[in-house]
Amino acid sequence: MKKEVPLAICFIVALIYIVSNYFTGVEFLATMKDLLDKWYLSVDAIVVAIGMVNLAQIHGRRVANKREGWLFSLWLMLCMFGMFFVSIFWFKGTTHVGWNFMYKMIISPMNATVYSTLVFYIGSAAYRSFRIRSMEAGILLVVAFIMMLGRVPLGAMLLGGNQAFATAADWLLRVPNSAGMRGIQIGAALGGIATALRIMLGIERGYLGGTGE
Amino acid sequence: MWEKIANVDRRVIYALMILVIALALLNPIGMAIVPSQATIDAYNYIEAMPNGSIVWLGMEFSSGGVTELIPAAQAIIRQGFKKDFKFVCAGMWQQAGDMAEMAFSIVEKEFPDKQYGVDWVNIGYKPGGEVLLPALINDVNEAAKGIDHRQNQLSSLPLMSQFKTIKDADLIIIFCTGTPGEQQYIKHVTGPLNIPLIESAISVSVPGIMPFVQSGQIKALIAGMKGAAEYEALVGVPGPAMAGMDAQSFSHGLILLFMILGNIGYYATRNKKG
Repeated sequence: MKKEVPLAICFIVALIYIVSNYFTGVEFLATMKDLLDKWYLSVDAIVVAIGMVNLAQIHGRRVANKREGWLFSLWLMLCMFGMFFVSIFWFKGTTHVGWNFMYKMIISPMNATVYSTLVFYIGSAAYRSFRIRSMEAGILLVVAFIMMLGRVPLGAMLLGGNQAFATAADWLLRVPNSAGMRGIQIGAALGGIATALRIMLGIERGYLGGTGE
Repeated sequence: MWEKIANVDRRVIYALMILVIALALLNPIGMAIVPSQATIDAYNYIEAMPNGSIVWLGMEFSSGGVTELIPAAQAIIRQGFKKDFKFVCAGMWQQAGDMAEMAFSIVEKEFPDKQYGVDWVNIGYKPGGEVLLPALINDVNEAAKGIDHRQNQLSSLPLMSQFKTIKDADLIIIFCTGTPGEQQYIKHVTGPLNIPLIESAISVSVPGIMPFVQSGQIKALIAGMKGAAEYEALVGVPGPAMAGMDAQSFSHGLILLFMILGNIGYYATRNKKG
């Protein structure tokens, strides 16, 4: 019963959600879908707490055993629990000036900084990886050249105002890229459906704990 | 020498990159911005909307996307305010409310007759990820728990009396850096309700979005900082995106230069070894 009940709940709930998405206008299904959406919000909030416990377990062990990089783990836990307790017991909400300071003056600039550093990594990675070692690598290099010049005004400036690079970059995005991306997206969607069906039918039981045997 | 060219220390590349970007930002040469057809399509679509339309702005990004998305948002708000559009902003991303405030903060001063609560409302971030979208279809007030980003009661804001559900939006414009983003809007809102969707996205997301543009699920796409710069040019108010295009151009130029040098060095050393 330990496994049968959760599997039955999973199957019934998944079935209701799928059917309610395809057959709109049925009062009972719409009400159930709303209810499930609300439950999802609660589960979503609980998942954050589980994530904190999980992080604390992993990094706590690393600190306790003084493994390599344990100082970073300690810093992570200090920041995580620091923000958590201060927000709940001192700031008591997101309107407090202290919370705003922590969020807008620390987290927000750090977020922007991490994203900004990408330009350096991309520059260095492009220099090292775009070597014409084969015909495929050569094609990749030519496409990269066209895209990089076509997506900035520099391309037109080099050609005396001619928009050839921009036109070629636009074509690459609309035709070969779209064809490839569509294939990837359809493939990923089919993979998602297959996984969902496996979970729904009880073939994939990893979420119950154990090995699914 | 060829060995050195083939294996330039990455710190040299980083230093030159900083130098080139800083010089371009401090001394812009003002490269000509020629709007692409995609950006013109977005501009024309919004321009063709009736005056007084209600537009939903989905601020689906965080500070990492500010450079590319805020200029586009400001240019669209400028265009919209000239046409007496009413804007309702919200988002599934935690910084959605702050991003909306940032976008309106400058433009609001250019339109002193536009009032918060009457001409625009910032509902801000509401948790739940994509589950928020179906909730917005049912009842915006309930989905937002009755309060906006500034802690006002939504029921006290005049604009919200005309905007009970997201179905009341004549147009949806979203600003995205990732997931949740356009796929969630298409799945839950714009697809089933047949509401037109326009997107402004960061450059790295553009390849993944193109199939949705081709299929017509996204009416028009403003792609990256270049798209934002083009939009600023179309609206006629130069802004941060146009200013940033020189820096982006030169950084691309530097990367291309290193790619050429890397290949020259690679072939020279390879022949030597052979």
